[in-house]
Amino acid sequence: MTMTLTRTATARPHSTRRRLSRLITNLWLVAALVLMTVMIASQRPQLLDPGNMVAILKSFSIMVMMILGLTWVIAAGKIDVSFMQVAALSNMLCAWGLSQGWGWWPAIAAGLAAGLAVGLLNGWLVAVMRLPALIVTISTASLCASLAAALGKGTVIRIATPGPLASLLEPHFGDAVPLIMLPVLALAALAWFVQERLTMGRYIYAMAQNEAAVRSVGVPVVGLTLVLFVFSGVCAALAGIILAENLASGQPMIGGPYLINGLTVVLLGGMMVHVGKPNILGTLTATLFIGVLFSGAALLGLPDYQRQIIQGALLLSGLVVAMLAARHHGERRKGG
Amino acid sequence: MSGFKDIMRQSARGLGFLALVIVVGAALALAEPRFLSPASLNGIARHMAANGLAALGLTFVVIVRRFDLSIPGVAAFAGMSMGAVIAAGAPLWVAIAAGIAIGAAIGLVSGVAISRFGLPDIVTTIAVGSICAGMAFLYTGGRSIFQNFFQVGITDLNDARVLGLGVSLWILLAIYAVAWFVMQRTRTGVAFYATGENPVAAHFSGIATRRYIALAYVLCAICTVLAVLLILAESGNAETNKGANLMMPAYAGVFLGAAILGGTSVLATLGGILLITMLLDGFALMGVPYYYSDGMISLILLAGVLAFSDSARNWLNSFAMVRAARHAASGEKG
Repeated sequence: MTMTLTRTATARPHSTRRRLSRLITNLWLVAALVLMTVMIASQRPQLLDPGNMVAILKSFSIMVMMILGLTWVIAAGKIDVSFMQVAALSNMLCAWGLSQGWGWWPAIAAGLAAGLAVGLLNGWLVAVMRLPALIVTISTASLCASLAAALGKGTVIRIATPGPLASLLEPHFGDAVPLIMLPVLALAALAWFVQERLTMGRYIYAMAQNEAAVRSVGVPVVGLTLVLFVFSGVCAALAGIILAENLASGQPMIGGPYLINGLTVVLLGGMMVHVGKPNILGTLTATLFIGVLFSGAALLGLPDYQRQIIQGALLLSGLVVAMLAARHHGERRKGG
Repeated sequence: MSGFKDIMRQSARGLGFLALVIVVGAALALAEPRFLSPASLNGIARHMAANGLAALGLTFVVIVRRFDLSIPGVAAFAGMSMGAVIAAGAPLWVAIAAGIAIGAAIGLVSGVAISRFGLPDIVTTIAVGSICAGMAFLYTGGRSIFQNFFQVGITDLNDARVLGLGVSLWILLAIYAVAWFVMQRTRTGVAFYATGENPVAAHFSGIATRRYIALAYVLCAICTVLAVLLILAESGNAETNKGANLMMPAYAGVFLGAAILGGTSVLATLGGILLITMLLDGFALMGVPYYYSDGMISLILLAGVLAFSDSARNWLNSFAMVRAARHAASGEKG
């Protein structure tokens, strides 16, 4: 409701320039994505080959799955740096269960249960025991990484039989789109609906503004925080299971690079649609943006470490732009 | 009156901490008799020097109520930079000066971005750390640097002894002594604590809070550089992953020390890092696989922070009150 009010308030001067500037803040990342894709494709047409598209969209689906929950945790003004190690743990647990002859469904259930358990632990420590979210999740992250490595005694566990998700990873629709994208997008659409249309979405953003105030008007902040961390854990665990299927193995070190990737995407995505606030649609766009950027960088022959520098710089400049935008926005609101 | 109470409480905590160190040491010595051998104690002193320096840097940042996650990245880049300077044939002090200058510059960038421009600390330092970790590959593309390391004398930092103790331990003690003096006995230290506890009040008391926050990041990066310098001295070469294991022990040392000794301070960090290093080296001696050690540290950290948190205390108090009330009620009935 608050949203509608502010929207009509800013739309009232109804000049085309205002409308245009709002359109730009909403969709500039989409434009940047298209522009970048065209630029890279003009240099390296292989970018748009079906084989490459499948690879990009597959890692897009896995990435979105992993950080769907993280988006809301950050939107609520908290932080979770354990998501990538939760994925690594569920990935290893799934592979380890299969190597013990559990069969696929129990192995998947075990992976999800691990995500649920870590999410509950994070949520309980942050929401109920009021410990700082960074200290809690940095600890549970290295706990999960430790457990993941211990399951395979420090090495990779191979998976011999393809599981129930294998068919979802096959390319369809002109050999360019993996089927897994559809359920992931459906889940993201559901999350978008919750965020935009249900009170829960309002509460998440309100929490980031002033937790004490939100608590005192009777919003169940403790329960909501718990739910957010559990959702983040379960999403990451699901991504870990998809990774197990995709790589046909459990890899204890798989988590590492996802930390900075995930944070970059969530914060970059937070710079469109609702500027300064991480949101689902922004996360989707930013994930695709990073995916195309990395694929293009690899095709252009940039080594790994240069990608890492580019990404750090992107994250940093994203933060600066978001800061400036928020300040600009605030001043304009004060003025009107 | 309350001052006397505070002193009593502090010394009780201090005694409790000493008892904990003795219990942990005894348990490790029982489980693995070699734990108390001179070689093992030397190892603990050396590892404590590196871990302790990184933790000291983090202490400043935590005192101004911020976090720094760029420690591994800064360590990687500064370590490779110092390695490159040594390999180019420069004397050791030039390499150390270059490392400190690089660290200070990186810390200044993070610190100014966070304090002056108000960027969020966690994400900013992750980004800076990522850029630094990538830049560590600029010199050799990721290969180890070892040229000139033995001629230049960097290994003396690890091997040489003064009055029976390793040089690295003396370095640690000297830097901690200076840090303790500045933080506990000067206006600068008071300004750091004031900035952390109440930035608005500190601002109106004439403290340049932004400057102290930026300074905390600069000090943290410089301490990280010194820590990685000791690691280079121990291994005799520079690699891009040299600082990867500095961050978890540093966080555990700072927060465990603060939990046990009742507040973040230079001495609390020293105590915390002593405990953590004892445990880490003990586990390594007992042949515990490397992948368990991080997990155990984080478990200890979580348990420590949880056990000494306000909520746990309130919870215990309310529990005790309920029991007392029940006791009283049953007494009335009887």
